[in-house]
Amino acid sequence: MTEPLLSLKNVTMKFGGVTALNDVSFDVKPQEILGLIGPNGAGKTTIFNVITGVYQLTSGAISFEGESLAGKKRYKITRSGVARTFQNIRLWGDMTSLENVMTATDTHKKSGLLSGLFGMPISRREEKRDKARAQELLDFIGIGEYSDRLAKNLPYGVQRRLEIARALGTEPKLLLLDEPAAGFNPAEKVELAETIRRIRYAGYTVLLIEHDMSLVMKVSDRVVVLDFGQKIADDLPKAIQEDPRVIEAYLGVPENAS
Amino acid sequence: MINLRDKGAELWENSGRPARVAIVLASIAAVASLPFMGGTILNTPVASYESVLVNPVAMFVLMAIGLNIVIGKSGLLDLGYVAFFAIGAYTMGLLGTKTDLNTWEILPIGIAMSMFAGLILGVPALKLRGDYLAIITLGFGEIVRIIALNLQVLGRAEGIQNIPTPPPIFGVEYAFDSHRIYFWTLLVFILLAIWMVRRLSARRAGRAWESIRQDEDVAELLGVPTFKYKIWAFVLGASVGGAAGVLYASKTLYIAPDNFTLQISILILACVVFGGMGNIWGVILGAVVLAYLPDRIRFLSEARLLVFGLVLVIMMNLRPDGLLPRKKREKALVTKEKS
Repeated sequence: MTEPLLSLKNVTMKFGGVTALNDVSFDVKPQEILGLIGPNGAGKTTIFNVITGVYQLTSGAISFEGESLAGKKRYKITRSGVARTFQNIRLWGDMTSLENVMTATDTHKKSGLLSGLFGMPISRREEKRDKARAQELLDFIGIGEYSDRLAKNLPYGVQRRLEIARALGTEPKLLLLDEPAAGFNPAEKVELAETIRRIRYAGYTVLLIEHDMSLVMKVSDRVVVLDFGQKIADDLPKAIQEDPRVIEAYLGVPENAS
Repeated sequence: MINLRDKGAELWENSGRPARVAIVLASIAAVASLPFMGGTILNTPVASYESVLVNPVAMFVLMAIGLNIVIGKSGLLDLGYVAFFAIGAYTMGLLGTKTDLNTWEILPIGIAMSMFAGLILGVPALKLRGDYLAIITLGFGEIVRIIALNLQVLGRAEGIQNIPTPPPIFGVEYAFDSHRIYFWTLLVFILLAIWMVRRLSARRAGRAWESIRQDEDVAELLGVPTFKYKIWAFVLGASVGGAAGVLYASKTLYIAPDNFTLQISILILACVVFGGMGNIWGVILGAVVLAYLPDRIRFLSEARLLVFGLVLVIMMNLRPDGLLPRKKREKALVTKEKS
């Protein structure tokens, strides 16, 4: 059995009296696409927030490549190989698409502010390389033609995809996608499913939050279901669709059933 | 209204290297010849035109460029910028009168002192954001002034007198009233500051600052070491303010706490906002207008500040983003045609 890339053990997150996550444990294996679903308020985005260090865990442990993420600074977590997109698009609107991605690729630059100021060769070389890499990523996601446009003026669908390109700019091992298909029409969803698969074949591992069941079931290798902050299922997509607890969480139980 | 910024950017982008060099040299020559324009409409009544060019105009421009790194580029509201100016000036005053060091030797010390002060203030203050940061920096500006007001060695309310003028450099003598020489000296520093800001803006640091200004949380989650870059912005801004302070002290030859009030911080901030936050040319234009205007309309005597205020209010209503705002042009159509 391969070592998990990311491992959550008994993760609990409380906000005052509200328990957002209750004793959640699951692993993400290298190279897989893991779907994370659940009704509204189940704690899906909270999972992303505890992984990326936005919140500090109440109890439990998260480890990435065997290393604990507890107390690590957010930008260091990103540098160690976890990148995310945002459910409500949060691009840097006054920058062009290319600059948005380049800011993320800067994560792995060696040259700092002073070598940039004095135009040292290393800075110039890295600048050139990162620009090429950023353009490559935009092309990979299929929005290369928008590279010179300000992010805030882009069409909605392009903004969503730019979020993915920007996250890939940090060269993550694990990509966290938070509802990438929100607001997409069926044709765009098919295209997105294709993109997510291509991302996996390019060597990334994907943890996907999505409300669109057909998309999740189509692309995921495995699905974890959350309900009221608890994990209620963790199985192959086919088994999930027949799991009575999952059906209950989404549809409720008939009154005469119990 | 015509869009000066885009016109300028277009001209720049469409010119080849020799044309660009020509534009730069011509602009520098035009600015450098300003002291000879005293006989024209530019002349200021009452105050000596050439001395107005040095202080406040050139001083304001230099400080506004420095403050723009902090406010315009990184979005950190600093209301105590005068503190760095004061630290530079007092370093010059103290070392200039108590030791044999001359202005050019004190200059790096003054800049270093200001940068150090920026670091000391930045490390605790930059953990805060927005209004809270503004209040802390406001307090810092006052603290520096009040320390100067109370420390015997800094001359208390009388300040420091008999600060030496800079020694000759390349055979050019700095006499107390040779305003032109001071103006050209400041021009060199302004050009250096412009070079620094433009260089940094196009590189990694510029993108990091821009991302912090627009959404700091997202910047950090995408791997930007936000705290480090905020400190850098503070320290670099402070260095420019410190340099301005050293030059100010060696020009006026007398400094007192009254020269470093909150009003200076606010005026410099006004230059940045009025000109166009984040756009270095806008900021320079803003500083020139706000520094020059009060002296140009001095013939109005009592009504002078009223008119000055009115101009500010009207202009901010007409151009809320400043004279030359930052917004970048979209080049998408051009690129598409090429491919």
